[in-house]
Amino acid sequence: MSAKLIKLIISIGIPVIILLLPVSSFGIDGLTIVEQRVIAIFFFAALFWILEPIPIYATSLVIIFLELFMISTKGFKPILTSNDPETFGNLVDYKVIMHTFASPIILLFLGGFFLAMAATKYRLDQNLARVFLKPFGENPKMVMLGIMIITAIFSMFMSNTATTAMMLSILAPVLAVFLPGDKGRIAFTLAIPFAANVGGIGTPIGTPPNAVALKYLVGDSYISFGQWMSFAVPYVVILLFVAWGVLLVFFPIKTDKIKLNIKGSWLKNRKAYIVYATFALTIILWLTDFLHGMNSYIVAMLPVAVFSALDIINKNDLKNISWDVLWLVSGGIALGLGLEGSGLAERLISVIPFDTYSPMVIILLVTVVAMMMANFMSHTATANLLLPLVAALGTSLSSLEAFGGNKMIILVVTVSCSISMALPISTPPNALAFATGGVETKHMAKSGIIVTIIGLLLNYLTMYVLNIIGFF
Amino acid sequence: MDKLYIICVDDQREVLNALTEDLELFESHLHIEECESADEAWDVIESVDSEGDHVAVLVTDQVMPKNSGVDLLKKLREDGRFDQTRTVLLTGQATHKDTIEAINTAHLDNYIEKPWKKEALHETIKVLITKFLLAKGLDYQKLTDVIDQNTLLTNLRKTT
Repeated sequence: MSAKLIKLIISIGIPVIILLLPVSSFGIDGLTIVEQRVIAIFFFAALFWILEPIPIYATSLVIIFLELFMISTKGFKPILTSNDPETFGNLVDYKVIMHTFASPIILLFLGGFFLAMAATKYRLDQNLARVFLKPFGENPKMVMLGIMIITAIFSMFMSNTATTAMMLSILAPVLAVFLPGDKGRIAFTLAIPFAANVGGIGTPIGTPPNAVALKYLVGDSYISFGQWMSFAVPYVVILLFVAWGVLLVFFPIKTDKIKLNIKGSWLKNRKAYIVYATFALTIILWLTDFLHGMNSYIVAMLPVAVFSALDIINKNDLKNISWDVLWLVSGGIALGLGLEGSGLAERLISVIPFDTYSPMVIILLVTVVAMMMANFMSHTATANLLLPLVAALGTSLSSLEAFGGNKMIILVVTVSCSISMALPISTPPNALAFATGGVETKHMAKSGIIVTIIGLLLNYLTMYVLNIIGFF
Repeated sequence: MDKLYIICVDDQREVLNALTEDLELFESHLHIEECESADEAWDVIESVDSEGDHVAVLVTDQVMPKNSGVDLLKKLREDGRFDQTRTVLLTGQATHKDTIEAINTAHLDNYIEKPWKKEALHETIKVLITKFLLAKGLDYQKLTDVIDQNTLLTNLRKTT
């Protein structure tokens, strides 16, 4: 039997067993049938995202279908009618589940995608890289720092994968001239994915786990684009320097001079100017919501409208949009909806005596679990699974208030999801760097683990400081 | 996962053996089929297609009894099912006219002269496999030893 088949049997078998058990066997007082189904869907999601018998975005789509089929107001009637509404439970409005495909968060990312596509198409990314890298000169350590800073800045607005791909292809001719035995080659190859992973934390649109977090940062916990950057960018900068230092210690560079030669020149046509202006304007609007009142979701529609209307992004370019990434997030949002809408989230919090645990222990536990999981599976899928549970904790646990409450625990877990970078499978940027053949898993692991752990400690420190200054 | 094929066509058995031997590297992830004529190759292509699998690369000799390599390439190109299949003409005897026809009508991807160099052949096939996978949207993550990094990176830059 193939490994894939075994994974499929496990991933389907366990949720089906959960579904078939009598409600009483869970030992949870008042558990309804709908809630039991949500537990089964949650296990289905966890097993499918962890074992990955099918692509992770496909799992998201199946979750949405299962919710519509089994727990929505317009689902499959024979399993949705009951004589006793009390024990049956609350159904979730089907429209709400379907809305996850076009939730404001998804549209925010769509806006980000439009910006990134236009920037690549009109070579804004490569030209900026060329200009920004010039001041870093030819000293290899400085060039490496420069590359890391540029990579991190780009990955705040573009996907971490696209940024890594661009920077690795810029770096390819440089890597070729390294002498054999010079560990600097490894340092450079790892610098790019590490910087891309870290950089994604910098803005709400930097990486998909941030999108999942936004779902739970509403109401009192709302965070604007600018507020996000105000805590995340300093964190990114410090962790970037840490990663730079770690790589230089592990893989000292012997070459004494490095010359980057990035070709290209600024495009000077009408459409290119529109791209430059729209890019700048969108970012300015994102950061100045307190002046004009438009939130980041509304602003994200500006590049979508402008680039489409002016044929900067055409029909063909639309095919390059990573719908899989968007739908992966949609599935995560839907999973959270199921937990909340059915009342399961509330019930679990009420039956498990979290209040008896120290809030510190809870924070430590969830962040370490997030970090460990994200090393072996998709960061986004990790956020999809953990954040709905963490949000339920955050809103109900009064002892967390002293540490920053719901907002703090959502942010600390989200960042923990994004800093895992010990293995080639941890993130797509790591996989790309590994595939260049210049690094081995052990190189990535020993430097990646250290960066991840320092990142985690720094994460706690950031939240501690934010709490003191009254950020939450 | 769907299977991927490299189809090699040459009427000389010893050349065919040498070629498939040099393509051993790819056997870890792709199936390599040996065909001694254009007609046999077409039968194989049809059967691969009917199984729902993919012909990623076709490597063919030009001068063969009955149908030539260029005839085979033209037939392949006219068939919408194989519009992403990448092609290599591996020959020492193609005339000027054959070559022009291969490029202009059969939209040949690569021309390799006999005798070929193993490394160059590997490079070429890797690039072609990568282009095929990306054009078809197939998963390349498990195929890292047989794909070309630069081609992949250039393509991934366009992802959002």
